[in-house]
Amino acid sequence: MLGPELVDFIESPVMILFATRDEAGRPMIGRGSGVRVDRQSGHLHFLASRSQWPDAVSEAQPGRPIAMTYVRATDYKACQIKGRIVAAGAADEAHRARGEAYVAEQLARMMALGVTRMQLSSTLSDQELVCLTIEPQAIFEQTPGPGAGRRLTPEAAA
Amino acid sequence: MIPLESLRDSFEGIIPSVIATTDADGMPNISYLSHVHYVDEAHVALSNQFFSKTATNVARNGLATVMVVDGYSGQQHVLDLAFERSETEGEIFERVAIHLAILESRMSGIMKLRAVDIYRVEDCRAVPAANPLVEPEPLFLPDLMSKVARLTVRMSDCSDPETLLDTTLEGLGELFGYRHSMVLVPDGERGGLTTIASRGYDQFGFGAEVPAGRGVIGLAAERRRNVRITDLSRGRRYIEAVRAMAGVEDATPIPLPALDKPLSQIALPLVARGRLVGVMFSESTERFTFRHRDEEALIVIAAHLATALSFLSEERERGEANGLEKANAPAASVPAGRRIAVRFYPRDGSLFVDDDYLIRGVPGRLLLHFLEDYARTGKRDFLNREIRRDRRLQLPDFKDNLETRLILLRRRLEEKAGPITLERADRGRLRLTLAGRPEIEVVEE
Repeated sequence: MLGPELVDFIESPVMILFATRDEAGRPMIGRGSGVRVDRQSGHLHFLASRSQWPDAVSEAQPGRPIAMTYVRATDYKACQIKGRIVAAGAADEAHRARGEAYVAEQLARMMALGVTRMQLSSTLSDQELVCLTIEPQAIFEQTPGPGAGRRLTPEAAA
Repeated sequence: MIPLESLRDSFEGIIPSVIATTDADGMPNISYLSHVHYVDEAHVALSNQFFSKTATNVARNGLATVMVVDGYSGQQHVLDLAFERSETEGEIFERVAIHLAILESRMSGIMKLRAVDIYRVEDCRAVPAANPLVEPEPLFLPDLMSKVARLTVRMSDCSDPETLLDTTLEGLGELFGYRHSMVLVPDGERGGLTTIASRGYDQFGFGAEVPAGRGVIGLAAERRRNVRITDLSRGRRYIEAVRAMAGVEDATPIPLPALDKPLSQIALPLVARGRLVGVMFSESTERFTFRHRDEEALIVIAAHLATALSFLSEERERGEANGLEKANAPAASVPAGRRIAVRFYPRDGSLFVDDDYLIRGVPGRLLLHFLEDYARTGKRDFLNREIRRDRRLQLPDFKDNLETRLILLRRRLEEKAGPITLERADRGRLRLTLAGRPEIEVVEE
């Protein structure tokens, strides 16, 4: 479902937001700690810190919907991917390493943009990572401007 | 619930906020949001010109969750919101619109604010750093009230408008650390503004102009509202993204007044008795120089400056009425000396001395008037009151700002260090000095 360009984009060191929701429909906000796309299944292996985002992660249960927005901080190029959580569990060693590398890279990039370590303290975390396996269902343009919200995938694919 | 008043630095848009909603099927939607605006202790406002899915979701269930981030510490707070109403005019709308107008000025209208959405804040909770990267450094913010008190006392001691202007800008640098500041006054003819006093720049720039409605200064004047920018670099990147997305071609950057790379700017309209008498502007190469609290301090300074400027300008004329009615200038015969070529264009009042542009508008017309009198009668001293009465100088919006225009003219002549100077002989009286014989050419176009 995700084209190669989009896969490269979301796997690059972009800022990641995600939202789950509780039973009442109230959205929960969190920030992601990296993502990896399984080229075979097309599923996303999405990482988030349970200790930093307890509310959003606790609602990230199998069968539930999830929305993720990926943004490149240098030019605000962004897309939103919506999908269904297939599996959720503690990240394995390989995923943890990926999460740690993501946080380190992101720190370096954001600091180059003038953001301080202190400002990133509650934003980026590679501790207590969970890995959510997500089946993507729809992709939307999210770069700020009149085109934001435009669907990027054919209806049939959703 | 954490009081919103304690989170003012999270409503500055330094670090983007986040908004999440859910649709009818329970699918969440999440995106960045450039600004969450503080309204009062229980309400925030969102400008929502692009977020179509967010708008649809809110229209359905009235719920949104936002996360705001403190521009200094990075501390995050989550706010549970319930939609209350949309506004297309009024105080909050204007405040949000002017923010966008700064960004929008070269964007062909694509970022024009349509409406501002007001939300009730049902809960506000901190998102503590579970695994902090560094120990947070406490933020030391100085008490601004005592600085305001000291500066306003100094301002109150000033007995003439020029000293007042210089004392104010000097004090902003010395007491507050706002080292690059200027005051501009309405030009009275084109609806723009002209620099009359400045501090902290390589050049004084007396007479430098800002067109009406352009940039933070022009907008502050046009809308009579404070304009404060806390991080210009982020605004510019945001604009580039919107421009690229919308296919708007424009290679020219947003025009900025003085510093090469300012990151923070603030412009406050100077209003006395309901009339705009100028704009006070300050800028910095640092992010976040002007917080909400700095704006509040500057509002007091600006109000005091506007009132004092207006009062002292009038005071001059009261002084003249007390026994200085007659200009006792030595009406010298016009000296021979070298020729000073004066060229004047009535269309816009621009005046050139020896082929060098001096000034335009009301100050240009005033100088022509002085020079013509001098060439005809040798008259060198001019009283404010006399100038005001002169029927030949009936100009639009002239009466209100005579004193500031005379200051501008005098400073501009001083800055040019040319053959014509204008001095303050004493209270309410100006003395013209020429190093030669003026030859005036009026060029009708």
